[in-house]
Amino acid sequence: MKLIIYTALFFFLFSYSCNQHDKHDEKDELVELPSNSIFNLNSKWQNQDGKEIYLRNLQGKVLVVVMIYTSCKTACPILISKMKNIASKLNKDDINNVSLVLVSIDPETDTPEHLKEFSINNAMDKNPWIFLRSNENATQEFANILAMKYKKISPLDFSHSNIITVFNSKGQLVTQEEGDINVDNIVEKVSNTILKDF
Amino acid sequence: MTTTRINFLATITIATVMLSCSTNSTKADASNSTANITSAADIVAEGNPEALQVTGAPNVPAPIGNRGAKKLIVNLETSEIEGIIADSIHYTFWTFNGTVPGSFIRVREGDEITLNLKNAANSVMPHNIDLHAVTGPGGGAAVTTSAPGKESSFTFKAINPGLYVYHCAAPPVPMHIGNGMYGLILVEPAGGLKPVDKEFYIMQGDFYTKASTIKKGLMEFNNDKAVAEEPDYVLFNGKKGSLLGANKLEAKVGETIRLFVGNGGPNLTSSFHVIGEIFDNVYIEGGSTVSHNIQTTMIPAGGATIVEFKVDVPGEYVLVDHSLSRAFNKGCIGKLKVSGNANPKIYSSNKTAAAE
Amino acid sequence: MPTQKFTLQIKLLLQNSLLVVEKYKCRRFVIIVPICFLLFFIESCIKEENTEHKSEKTQFLNVPDSLYLIKANVKMVYIKGGNYKPFFGSNTATVNVKPFLIDERPVTNKEFLEFVKINPQWRKSKIKKIFTDNTYLRDWPSDLELPKNAKPDAPICFVSWYAANTFAKCAGKRLVTLDEWEFVAMADADTFNARNKPSYSNKIVDLYLQKERQYNSVKQTAPNYWGVYNMFDLIWEWTDDFNSVLTTGDSRTGKYDDKNLFCAGSATSATDVMNYAAFMRFGMRSSIKANYTISNLGFRCAKDTL
Repeated sequence: MKLIIYTALFFFLFSYSCNQHDKHDEKDELVELPSNSIFNLNSKWQNQDGKEIYLRNLQGKVLVVVMIYTSCKTACPILISKMKNIASKLNKDDINNVSLVLVSIDPETDTPEHLKEFSINNAMDKNPWIFLRSNENATQEFANILAMKYKKISPLDFSHSNIITVFNSKGQLVTQEEGDINVDNIVEKVSNTILKDF
Repeated sequence: MTTTRINFLATITIATVMLSCSTNSTKADASNSTANITSAADIVAEGNPEALQVTGAPNVPAPIGNRGAKKLIVNLETSEIEGIIADSIHYTFWTFNGTVPGSFIRVREGDEITLNLKNAANSVMPHNIDLHAVTGPGGGAAVTTSAPGKESSFTFKAINPGLYVYHCAAPPVPMHIGNGMYGLILVEPAGGLKPVDKEFYIMQGDFYTKASTIKKGLMEFNNDKAVAEEPDYVLFNGKKGSLLGANKLEAKVGETIRLFVGNGGPNLTSSFHVIGEIFDNVYIEGGSTVSHNIQTTMIPAGGATIVEFKVDVPGEYVLVDHSLSRAFNKGCIGKLKVSGNANPKIYSSNKTAAAE
Repeated sequence: MPTQKFTLQIKLLLQNSLLVVEKYKCRRFVIIVPICFLLFFIESCIKEENTEHKSEKTQFLNVPDSLYLIKANVKMVYIKGGNYKPFFGSNTATVNVKPFLIDERPVTNKEFLEFVKINPQWRKSKIKKIFTDNTYLRDWPSDLELPKNAKPDAPICFVSWYAANTFAKCAGKRLVTLDEWEFVAMADADTFNARNKPSYSNKIVDLYLQKERQYNSVKQTAPNYWGVYNMFDLIWEWTDDFNSVLTTGDSRTGKYDDKNLFCAGSATSATDVMNYAAFMRFGMRSSIKANYTISNLGFRCAKDTL
């Protein structure tokens, strides 16, 4: 019985998709996503409002991305203050074209509710701030895109590298700052990218 | 972990402050005696980057002479290759540019060197390079670790003249060095070293072997012997007889000889000696202090020395590590053949009167 | 062309439905895949009507191709897990490894060929640049052709972490975690933990020193205590969290808590400085990035116990 339903479903869907396909062909050129874009990642994420999104839903803005975990007491607060510093140094026109994205490396603890609370407590609950969490494999994959290293030491304690990454509006990596992060370099790169993209 | 991060940031901050302080103090001293040392970092390297010619032992690249500081590119490739270690015994060497020791790099103080390190695609292991001539984390190892088939690159300014060892620092380091991953880089002072007639490149290393369990007739690195520091071979230039027979070094009476001698180790300190010669000049440990009239000079593992002498009398001069079991039993022996007219004023044999 | 493509897709979907009949182990996938399709197409219907919004249209067309399940014939071995002492860390810290299943051998050329056959976006000519460097499946003459002379049952190499991770997903599995891998690696033929045997590390190092052994077939050598083959004698293996080795080249600066892997500094945080084999493995792991494809780097899969 199951089988019949599935098969019927597939055929139905495919007859549908075949119809569509010719239309796609005409527009393929227009919409080709760069092969090196992070929007090729197929993982599902949740933002601080619990809304499910794909990374490609972030396209159209320059992204400044950092991976953190909210229960971190040492390195992450510094990273977050650097992100805020970046936000404050960007001029008002630019900030509309930017998303500042904080991705949790501790999806277990950093639930959407937790992220929401954190964003409110840190005055990061409005645009351009976006908090994201996913499952462990997607988090791992995203960390790999950033060449970011992290390791769970104990339930609320991670060891990790400190990286802030800038992506252009098509999801291509523009620049990375690691370790002793220079905020001004990032602000400059973001502004340049906005000039190029918009 | 995270605490370390804070510590790290703090350390960086402190280090930066200290660095700026120390720069100030050295600048204050500069007027006294160390002007040439503090200025090396400020020397401007001119022109477009040029590829630097490097050489395999025992050959040495041409002296830098009077040239100014330049931008240079050095290309090194790491590879793991089967070679002959002694007689007909094969060994799996790990190398820079396919030789043990690796290529000799000759630059001038103030040069800006871009070092490109490529790891051969068929390597098993990742490799990197730590040049003792580099000022900066890991001597370059921090930024050059290259997986098989991958490349890395970094740029450094040679700010201290001297003769320096470079080596692979990938884990486990003793194994990478024990398999032959070392070489020398010479940073000449402005104006260059005083010209001599002949220059040679020699590097000592200790080797620890065992028969491969996989391949007949092949020897491989022996971890236990290395830890015990009991080598089977102590060799000049990675091969028994590399400076003997057809390979011996040659010079003519009256010539001045300069040997760039390094010790890759990984473990032993060398007591370098040339039988029948006295070193007129020894740049102690490859640095700026020159000592005279030296019979045997110590070369630490991971260190180097420059020795100079004039050959006055023809004959064969034997190069050894004067810890003599190494020369006698483990292969640490080489020869310098000096040809020319006898010099009885300095050396002559007295035919025994008793026989007549 | 499009017709051809869709015929293929229908074929593959039929295959998938057959998997249902065979009561394919990972039920979740069987359910998720059709549901995904359903959502996918419903979404597409809605957007189809919404033609004036070009950007949304773009988003739709950019949806990466869906993945198709592959049939996994490899035997999986049950590992009961337990506490073990990681190679890096303090001498007293132990890590608990939960029970898991592991492929008895690495993924082979043949299996990877099957994977790219039914997942065209992972073919050599199609793979997205973000998922690989420029040597993905380097020696394959074309998209669906193994290298000449390559043994079909030799381990697949020249694959990135992303490719390995996706393969595992399509097999209804995941990559082995670093701790799981090292836990299994403690075994020799007779015991599950042979780390204290004097010959343990040396024997592995012997194997590591051999070049070009990745071209040999899997399962030609003896299995270990668990019945797992080829842990050391063929290839390096990707692990799920290979990037948890916080010991990059610059760690001598004290940047990370695990002290550096190179030079003597590394020995201070390794729990067994005589374990040269482990140093070599961790050295390898710290030298790679997820998009790297390397001549002797492959993978095997694992799975949680049900």
